[in-house]
Amino acid sequence: MLSITSNPSLTLTDSPGALTSSGALIVADVHLGKSATFRAKGLPVPEGDNEQDLGRLLESISRTSATRLVVAGDLIHAPAGKTPATLSAIESFLESCPVPVTLVLGNHDRNSGPLPADWGIEVVPCLDLDGWHIVHDPAEASEDRPSIAGHWHPAIRIPDGKRTSLRLPCFWLRENSLVLPSFGSFTGGQVIQPLPSHRVFTALRDKVVELPQSLWG
Amino acid sequence: MRKANQSAESLLSPYFEARGWRAFDFQRNTWKAQAAGRSGLLHAPTGQGKTLAVFLGPLADRLHRESLDPKCPVACEVLWLTPLRALAQDTLRALREPVEHLAPHLAVEARTGDTSSAQRARLRKKLPWCLVTTPESLSLLLTHPDFRNQIAGLKTVIVDEWHELLGTKRGVQTELCLARLRVWHPELLIWGLSATLGNLDEAREALLGSACPGSATISADLNKELIIETLIPVEIERFPWAGHLGTRLVEPVAKAIESADTTLLFTNTRSQTELWFQELLEARPAWKDKLAMHHGSLDREERELVEQRLREGTLRCVVCTSSLDLGVDFSPVDQVIQVGSPKGVARLAQRAGRSGHQPGKASKVLCVPTHAFELIEFDAAREALARGEIESRTPVSKPLDVLVQHLVTCIIEAPISPSDLRQEIQTSHAYRDLSDEEWDWALAFITTGGQALKSYPQYHKARLENDHLKLDDKKLIQQHRLSIGTITGDRSVSVQFLGGKRLGTIEESFITRLKPGSQFIFGGRRLELVRFHKQTASVRKANKAQRGHVPIWSGGKMPLSNELSHAISRSLHDTGPPSAERVALQPILSIQQSKSALPSDDTLLIEFTRTREGEHLFFYPLAGRLVHEGLGSLVAWRLGKGSRESIHITQNDYGFCLTAKRGLSLDARKLSKAFDSNNLLDDLIACMNTAELARRQFREIARVAGLVVPDFPGSKTPKRDLQTSTSLLFEVFQRYDSGNLLLLQSQREILSKQFEINRLRLVLTSISERPLQLIETERLTPLAFPLWADRLSATLPAGDANSRLEAMLELLNRESPQPD
Repeated sequence: MLSITSNPSLTLTDSPGALTSSGALIVADVHLGKSATFRAKGLPVPEGDNEQDLGRLLESISRTSATRLVVAGDLIHAPAGKTPATLSAIESFLESCPVPVTLVLGNHDRNSGPLPADWGIEVVPCLDLDGWHIVHDPAEASEDRPSIAGHWHPAIRIPDGKRTSLRLPCFWLRENSLVLPSFGSFTGGQVIQPLPSHRVFTALRDKVVELPQSLWG
Repeated sequence: MRKANQSAESLLSPYFEARGWRAFDFQRNTWKAQAAGRSGLLHAPTGQGKTLAVFLGPLADRLHRESLDPKCPVACEVLWLTPLRALAQDTLRALREPVEHLAPHLAVEARTGDTSSAQRARLRKKLPWCLVTTPESLSLLLTHPDFRNQIAGLKTVIVDEWHELLGTKRGVQTELCLARLRVWHPELLIWGLSATLGNLDEAREALLGSACPGSATISADLNKELIIETLIPVEIERFPWAGHLGTRLVEPVAKAIESADTTLLFTNTRSQTELWFQELLEARPAWKDKLAMHHGSLDREERELVEQRLREGTLRCVVCTSSLDLGVDFSPVDQVIQVGSPKGVARLAQRAGRSGHQPGKASKVLCVPTHAFELIEFDAAREALARGEIESRTPVSKPLDVLVQHLVTCIIEAPISPSDLRQEIQTSHAYRDLSDEEWDWALAFITTGGQALKSYPQYHKARLENDHLKLDDKKLIQQHRLSIGTITGDRSVSVQFLGGKRLGTIEESFITRLKPGSQFIFGGRRLELVRFHKQTASVRKANKAQRGHVPIWSGGKMPLSNELSHAISRSLHDTGPPSAERVALQPILSIQQSKSALPSDDTLLIEFTRTREGEHLFFYPLAGRLVHEGLGSLVAWRLGKGSRESIHITQNDYGFCLTAKRGLSLDARKLSKAFDSNNLLDDLIACMNTAELARRQFREIARVAGLVVPDFPGSKTPKRDLQTSTSLLFEVFQRYDSGNLLLLQSQREILSKQFEINRLRLVLTSISERPLQLIETERLTPLAFPLWADRLSATLPAGDANSRLEAMLELLNRESPQPD
């Protein structure tokens, strides 16, 4: 874990996610049911990511002793992904989840329709928490206060050699607004072009490290 | 089979008489074989009347039937498959000429990816007597339920430039389409046209599959004279020893161009094409409108314009890559220049054949070296040609991605029982030994997803009903049709001016390395990248005042062929009267010989040298760049086991070099162990980043297998819900279905593509039996120098992403300790 700001404070976790001062764990872009969506459209993609991703989420909650879980958008990938298997995987996750769950609506959630009421997930368009404004789309975050968002699935390209480069999912801090990397394992990334004033972090094994500008600039 | 009373020759004689021609023996032989109902393969150099040989037989057959029954109905009887849609227009012209003369009521039309939708709609209603098309378009036609009926009268399929398709997945796709047509028409005649290959029998077997027994191979080898000359640099001592971009000989080349009417100047890479175009323009500014360039990435319109002007004879010179290797007849061309080694015997012969296109005329090629050692390659190529040592092309064996694509194609056309379908598939050469396991996997892939116990939940595609495979979902059918014909190489990006004019395409891997504002040269223009968005690179003309580093993008570089490398070894040790090339190279060979030795096929020469940078081992197996890359990594890995020194590897077509700070030596026992041919595959997988490479190869496989939803024509935004990258898919498969045969296929393909694994295996076995020739040299030898000079682009054995990142961060910390 790596503490990156102090006022308001925020710690990045390798899951990847962010932990606020009151212990809220914020993750973004889980995209549950994505492989099921593919199968429904005739593309043979194996199943397995839902349970793995939800398992990682539980583990992260317990490892960080989080007090609540906030998903900053795109919990479910698409209506076609809401198969019985996906839904029951989420239900058994909720049964073992020790903390309350809040969903900040993302574009994929809006398309996927409402969540079952008995899940007990609080659904909000945006959320203010411990000094942070949490939204899904960074474009909707105002510049004059600290914000946390997702949606972009940021990734950074680091040249290492003449013709090779690494492409890593990353946290992207632009002044006081943070974009989280996507949480789901079946999600891609968009390569970003950060400015010199920005900061970039990535999860490396079980730590979070800052990537100095000399690596990506 | 036609009664012998009316020979093809007499039926065709009005055409030959009008043109004042006489039929060649090979043409008559082909017509005879066709009249006897035999399929076959016809091989000949370009410009030998091959087209007329295979095409006029079916036309004579038609004329014969019409002479018996003037009212016999016209249906589609001939399919002409061409590998390049760019060739379709020329083919049409060539086929229509005799038809207009002999049977003007018969239509010859083309249907390719370039055909307008109006024309396509017309062709959907009624097919012409002869249809010119590509393998992809034929596959697409096979998905239409009425196509079977439309070709109910099909008699002949001709596959042009079969050598280009052979050895590619498109060739396999062609084999599968032919298997289908053979089931519908057991009497079908199938003829292939091919350039001369080292494995003609295998080429014919691959084309004809189970119908091969009884077929004919006809040679049109007219002993065409081939003259190979080399432009010898005046001062060989000052001629570079390395690099492929040398343009030192531009002045004598310009003079040679002046001496002919129309010249084709072949280069090996697109970057060389761009470079020589620039240099020639600078040398002769007056040629501004007479000099053109042609390579595969330029926009079609631009290429067609160049081709047209070539035919008209209004161009002085066209600088081109292999894009002009094929087919098209450019009679005005009277000189061919080859810049750089052709790297293969067949390629040089083919290119030389572009001149003196008329039968009987000699073909001549002027070879221009870009560095000194290419002199020996030209000499060797001439020798190999004289001995008839031509490269083979190995057919691709049962690629499963092409199979699953074709299965869906068949099922869409009409429901079919799995056993019938399998029988049909296995009549093709590529899938003749398809195993039960592979077949079951392929069936599962299109019906249930995974195999028996691991079927994918809620997966919908084809289904099995009453023992028949069915697929009738309209959306899925549309999706499939769009994904046919995506068997292509590198992902390409469209290059266009901000105003909208399209310039052509460029590899995505190149453009992603550029930043907006940086310059590059493309299509003879200096351009500035404005932005790269949605598979389009928007550019503007670069401001000339802004000098600086201008990257020239590169196309693929071919490795030295096996045949040519043997010929080189022979040339180096030839004791007969020396050729002009060897005389010119002698000063350099003498240095090599006195300081070390000349490499050969019978031993393995290894040099050891110390420089300021550390210790170097130079190995010269003479086996081509790709094999050397694989061997280099393997040997570095085996020598470096247990040591913490990192070993850098460089390679070229003659050998490879290992460099380390310390720890390398001429230890014969250690070196022979490093060349052990056991455990090759395991060690290669361990030392190369095969996972990473396989992930890249998976991109193509996933597309062919239908794992990626193609964009609908016209819509530039892909469907959001189904958006993913193939590398992500690769990971998902690896994690949750690691036994998936597509993963194994990507590994197999990358090993053969990246390191020519089969050749590597042979080389390794041969090396382990050769004596090692170990020589310590005080200075770099002429052969060592180019490998040393390449050290800046040396590759390090790669690790996984985490370790690479850790290593970089550690290095940064060491270089600049950060204040707390």
